[in-house]
Amino acid sequence: MLKLPRAAIAAASSLLLVLGISGDAVAQDKFKLGMLVGGNTCCDWQKAQGDVARALAGQMGWDYVELSNNNDPATALKNAQIMVQEGADAVIQFNGQPSANPAISQILKAANIPIVTYDIADPGMYFVGIDNLAAGIAGGEQLGMIMKAKWDCNPDLVISSEGAGAGIVNEWRTGGMRTGIKNICPDIPAEKYVSFEGSGDAATALQPGRDLLAAHPDAKRMAVVGINDGGVLGLINAAEQLGRADEVIGWGQDGAFITGDNVNPHLAGSVFYFLEGYAVYAIRDVIKPIADGKAPPLKADAGDPASRIQPCPVSAEQAAKVPDMPERVAQLMKAPFPTTEYDLFCPNK
Amino acid sequence: MSLDPALAATTPAAMPLKGRFQGWSTALTLLAAWLLVIAATGLYRHDFLSHQTVLAIAFTMAVVGVLAVGQGIIGISGGFIDLSQPACIILSSLVAVRLSEAGLPFIVVVIGAVLAGMIWGAMNATIVVFAKLNPVIVTLATNFIGLAALYLIFQSAQVPIGSEIHSLGRASFFGLPAIWWPMLLIIIVVGFLMRSTRYGRRTTAVGGSRIAAQARGISLKTTRYVTFMAAGGFVGFAAVLFAAAAGPFNPASASTTQLNVIAAVILAGISLAGGRGNFWMLLLSVGFLSTIPTALVFFGLSSATQSIFQGVILMIAVALDGYRARRTGP
Repeated sequence: MLKLPRAAIAAASSLLLVLGISGDAVAQDKFKLGMLVGGNTCCDWQKAQGDVARALAGQMGWDYVELSNNNDPATALKNAQIMVQEGADAVIQFNGQPSANPAISQILKAANIPIVTYDIADPGMYFVGIDNLAAGIAGGEQLGMIMKAKWDCNPDLVISSEGAGAGIVNEWRTGGMRTGIKNICPDIPAEKYVSFEGSGDAATALQPGRDLLAAHPDAKRMAVVGINDGGVLGLINAAEQLGRADEVIGWGQDGAFITGDNVNPHLAGSVFYFLEGYAVYAIRDVIKPIADGKAPPLKADAGDPASRIQPCPVSAEQAAKVPDMPERVAQLMKAPFPTTEYDLFCPNK
Repeated sequence: MSLDPALAATTPAAMPLKGRFQGWSTALTLLAAWLLVIAATGLYRHDFLSHQTVLAIAFTMAVVGVLAVGQGIIGISGGFIDLSQPACIILSSLVAVRLSEAGLPFIVVVIGAVLAGMIWGAMNATIVVFAKLNPVIVTLATNFIGLAALYLIFQSAQVPIGSEIHSLGRASFFGLPAIWWPMLLIIIVVGFLMRSTRYGRRTTAVGGSRIAAQARGISLKTTRYVTFMAAGGFVGFAAVLFAAAAGPFNPASASTTQLNVIAAVILAGISLAGGRGNFWMLLLSVGFLSTIPTALVFFGLSSATQSIFQGVILMIAVALDGYRARRTGP
């Protein structure tokens, strides 16, 4: 009684084993893209970066595996090891905690797995990203033109909402915006430039923003720049609470809060990077050539990147015509590869 | 007096003269420290003494003050601290945002946020009571789980610009932020209720001695549930003020408030070990702690340095709490 079922089970197991092995063999023939999303709770574009990469990998007929770095260096390092175990053929990452990048680079290099990094460069990784300095300068110049028209380049304060945790990116973006303002209004005295730490988050920037405004009670004409829209909005909201919003003009970076029907009227503009759509550039210029057996030379320098993403400065009026992020992602997925969001949505091409 | 026998035996009994003096000394110390900060900053920069400064400090006090009431209730009942406040306030704020986006009346928005906080508190209490786990560990875990779950639900939210709740966050009343007045009212009322009602005295009694309270027939489970739900309700109300004022927020936006709230509770003399404390002192401790970051900016110090001061003050507060416990303990 028992022999037949046992034999049947053994046969079935053998068959499954054979099928499993052959399945693995087939899977190993397919190119496998690994994606390490940033996992910082600050920004919905970090999750969307994975969604776009997944969709494009599907279009290419590749396997896809995604992990989150949880904005934590140790997790990012562990994820790199998992990618090796998973047999990824190439990896894309956004790592907002770049202290782990050298170790990640070493692990993946030892396994002969090329890696693309977004926006924060590492010598061992293909760099795909925005020219943060150019984006900062472009935004600053736009705000400078408003200041020139409205205040004859004579503001009482130019306030920077810093995000020191982002390191050089903060210096490029926020410092770049100050440079852009100086390009248009070169004679603003240095003492009129003040900064506070807003951490790139509107809610976090609110209290230090209020304190800074309280410490400058006589300032009437205030321009605000920052590492991103959130940081700038923190100061604008603080000014609203202190009854001084009409004295503030802000220009952000990243375009996170300049679209939709809930835009603060004192945010005069922002600079779109279309961060969620970076995978188009990474796959077009790095990953697909690797999959096709024509790996491009390693370009790891932000000054000479493997793929450069064009910043798109927009006024609030222009941004009102740009769809919000979920709609942009939906339209990007319908467009033929390698159409970029810059192609689809930037009004100032 | 209608104090029931159970409470008479378990509430830290009629405070001796030394204890009463310590209560006054806490108030006087806090007041002196606060006035010292104000005077020193005012001497250094005369424009510190302005309506703008008062507004900045009062806005900071509003959310921290209400959260401190919730934290204080947990502390005085012997639950030590509730480390899940950041997740609870974001959850309740999200409820407030979604309800206001749906165009519901402001009162419904408030009730929804408070209920969300109370449900969160009930969840914490259920785990603490039935799994018999340390409340600190439980709330630490639920905070982690809650924030991760919230991140899966949303990355950014804000109340609709121009809505009633949005206007509340920018309105003023008698020269002070509209969101400051509910904080004042809550601290005064809770301070009164904790001293003068049976529930308040039971909560303090359980914190003073669980064994004695249990022996006298006070249900620890019921007290734990009521305490956590009440504390959650206050966090839910703080969420309304937070959502009204914050603009766009994300799941991590309230994480930085935790240290300030705990420091305010300890500085106010509310023992985290339970059984002792006066909620009215929160007005002084929250006011003092909210003045420091503003004063630092007037001294030309970076706002980033406030974390250093917060850490130092927290250490001093914990040391003071330990000192008080040794002085008044057996």
